Amino acid sequence: MIRYLLATTLALAATLAIAQGAAKTVVQTEHVRAEVLVHAPEGVTPGRPVWVGLQLAHQPEWHTYWKNSGDSGLPTSITWDLPEGVSAGEIAWPLPKKFPIGNLANYGYEGTVLLPVPLTVGPSFKPSPSGTLNLKFKASWLVCKKECIPEDGEFTLKIPTASATTTHASLFKAAFDLTPQVLPPGRISVDGAALRLEVVGLPASLRGKPLEVFPETGEVIETAGAWTQAWRGDLWTATLPISPQRSQSPAQMPIVVTSGGMGWRTEAPVVGGWVTGGAVTAGGTASPKQSEAAAPAVGTSLAAALLGALIGGLILNLMPCVFPVLAIKVVGFAQHGIDRRARHLGGIAYTAGVVLSFLALGGLLLVLRAAGEQLGWGFQLQSPWVVAGLASLFTLLGLNLAGMFEFGQFLPSSVATLQAKHPVADSFLSGVLAVAIASPCTAPFMGASLGLAVALPPAEAMLVFGALGAGMALPYLAAVLVPGIARRIPRPGAWMETFKKLMAFPMFATAAWLVWVLGQQTGIDGAGALLALLVALSMVVWSFTLAGRGRITVASIAVAAFVGLAVLIGPSVTSVQAAHRPEKVSQWKTWDPIRIKELVAAGQPVFVDFTAAWCVTCQYNKRTTLADESLLAEFAQKNITLMRADWTNRDPAITAALASLGRNGVPVYALYRIDRKPVVLSEILSVDEVRAAISSP
Amino acid sequence: MLRRTLVTGLLVLPFSFAHAAAVVGQPAPDFAVRDADGREVRLSQFRGKHVVLEWMNPGCPFVRKHYDSGNMPATQKEATGKGVVWLSVYSNDDEGWLYTKPGKLREWVVARKAAPTALLIDGSGAVGKEYGARTTPHMYLVSPTGTLLYAGGLDSIASADKDDIAKATNYVRQAVNEALSGKPISVATSRPYGCMIKYKS
Repeated sequence: MIRYLLATTLALAATLAIAQGAAKTVVQTEHVRAEVLVHAPEGVTPGRPVWVGLQLAHQPEWHTYWKNSGDSGLPTSITWDLPEGVSAGEIAWPLPKKFPIGNLANYGYEGTVLLPVPLTVGPSFKPSPSGTLNLKFKASWLVCKKECIPEDGEFTLKIPTASATTTHASLFKAAFDLTPQVLPPGRISVDGAALRLEVVGLPASLRGKPLEVFPETGEVIETAGAWTQAWRGDLWTATLPISPQRSQSPAQMPIVVTSGGMGWRTEAPVVGGWVTGGAVTAGGTASPKQSEAAAPAVGTSLAAALLGALIGGLILNLMPCVFPVLAIKVVGFAQHGIDRRARHLGGIAYTAGVVLSFLALGGLLLVLRAAGEQLGWGFQLQSPWVVAGLASLFTLLGLNLAGMFEFGQFLPSSVATLQAKHPVADSFLSGVLAVAIASPCTAPFMGASLGLAVALPPAEAMLVFGALGAGMALPYLAAVLVPGIARRIPRPGAWMETFKKLMAFPMFATAAWLVWVLGQQTGIDGAGALLALLVALSMVVWSFTLAGRGRITVASIAVAAFVGLAVLIGPSVTSVQAAHRPEKVSQWKTWDPIRIKELVAAGQPVFVDFTAAWCVTCQYNKRTTLADESLLAEFAQKNITLMRADWTNRDPAITAALASLGRNGVPVYALYRIDRKPVVLSEILSVDEVRAAISSP
Repeated sequence: MLRRTLVTGLLVLPFSFAHAAAVVGQPAPDFAVRDADGREVRLSQFRGKHVVLEWMNPGCPFVRKHYDSGNMPATQKEATGKGVVWLSVYSNDDEGWLYTKPGKLREWVVARKAAPTALLIDGSGAVGKEYGARTTPHMYLVSPTGTLLYAGGLDSIASADKDDIAKATNYVRQAVNEALSGKPISVATSRPYGCMIKYKS
């Protein structure tokens, strides 16, 4: 028995020795020690990630090159000899370093660098009899100090298929961390002898810091030429000198920017046209159309908000305290028949007065918001506080419109009689006053736009306020410019009061939606508590409108009820559920960024739905396009993993993933595939669009 | 060594050369420089003839690829046989430790059966910088009227491997032949590949 064991052990040892003898994983040259490292956390199985990395340890002062080597040099290359069913991707190039040498420069690596290559294992792969993946490759690198030496090494290795190989996991992780994160397409334009870059989506923490820039396409810029860079808000711009001996005229240029060991990659079509200098055209590979898809989608939601604000402004004119003013003014000038030019000037001045007043209010909101953020208040819909606050706001606005209570005027009505001597100044002033004087009616609309604008970026919020003002000024302006309109304006009457009450319903509807959002965040208890508090709040407001003796008694009871409820059940409104309610069993898996990286590396595409309960568009898409039976079947057939990233509550990991796609909000639909930058689909998702994206090669 | 590189880097970086490199389609900059035998050679003295400028450095593996394989001498012989002037230019810093003396350089060239019209010693790097020459080899073709027709690599495959020569398109041969037969140059710029020229800093 013992003898038998011994024999087996010896045989095993011999096999191991042979296996080891056959593997050649280190090549030592005069200037470089090259070693092959493997990272196969799930063994070698079809669809699972397998990484093979070439680690180059350079002698001091020697360097090898990046994918664009710069003014001289050659990128390190690998020629593979792989068994059937296994294919190798491109090197996942870590961030390079710039080596300026006089008037020239190179991009490359010094010290120790790991160049990881993803292997794709297909179903037709058969492990060797000893249960390994056997592969051979030849790597060639040019190593330079002042002089250059082309070197190469042949490597053979065996990767066990059944067991995980994770010895160098930390080295691979470090290498992955050193690969650039993908940004949305920026803008690259040719401007004479300069190449202008505009990069968006960089983290806010970089603002104002100088970046290094590395074009992946060689032979375009003067590598060591003087260049400039600047930050404009969150936009980073750079002007690079185009090489007079440029031999490439790429249609699409990928650019990497780095700062402090972090890097970002953006790819954009080159606009402006290359100045013909006899340069050969070497077209870019990716189609510019797809990468442009991301940009207009952002525009649509802003356009919708602006249109909404404009309509809101128009509706404002129909309010009982605005309309009579408008009617009187319009009738006034129609009767008096002042000369045309003065009338037009007056109309424009009035418009300016209204719009500027709204912008001033918007500015005030932004200042308050900025101050709040300084104090650490979040203004996102992910915060239950904000959702509950907005629900209360909209309830109050609805009650106001329904006529339960009136807002007082922000300015005494005597101000309305103020007049400026100069007619243009007078018109401007009446524009300003129209906004202020009509505050009992404008306030609900102000509140609504405030609610809308609270979560928008500053520039967009200001645009929304501007559009609201423009909408309010529009009828007067139109009546001034086209006298025919003035005669068609209806008379003030009881219909205005009815209309105002009608407007209460959209407000209540918004409040209902916000309660549902809160329900997603804090569950049925939270939503129920919020509803109870809204009822109590309404009662408090109503009690203050009472007159006489009963007022104090009723108001006291109402306030006591409200406070009591707030103390008793208030906390459940804002206590975020520990675990968000899981999705029903479906093809959709919970978002997992590490898994995405692994799947994609293994050649399996991943489609991600970045969503949130409070995002109406997201819910619409989720229930229509993303629930489409035929589309789901197609996903399954194409072996595309579906993941859902739920951003209903704050999640820094999802926020970061969105940022890497150049977004800061949802919905975002992204398709991740091997060797390609993620494709971001439009916000209003159609089945055809998804189908086209997943079918495109 | 490192310190020197650093110092030169620091010195040169702020000026960061917007060097008036030669541009294809524009007049090629004229120059006057001594050859390996000490004679002055000017570009303008070859007006009326096509001129090939070849930046070289015997220490560079990419140059050796094309010389040791006989590719560069063959391309050269073919061109000069058709009346083209071939000027090999050596722009290494003549005070640098990687500098080869003109006599040795000529020996090296002759040993590889190369026969340029002249072997120019550009120890100050003035000509190389004027032309924006970056690598060895880096090739240029000038028309009989002094216009730059081609700038770039010797051929289409950037490698130090001799085996790639047969598979590559020799852009210089192609440009010379097209120019001689009055055709437009189909590839007028390409990627120059090789070792960085060791300019005087």
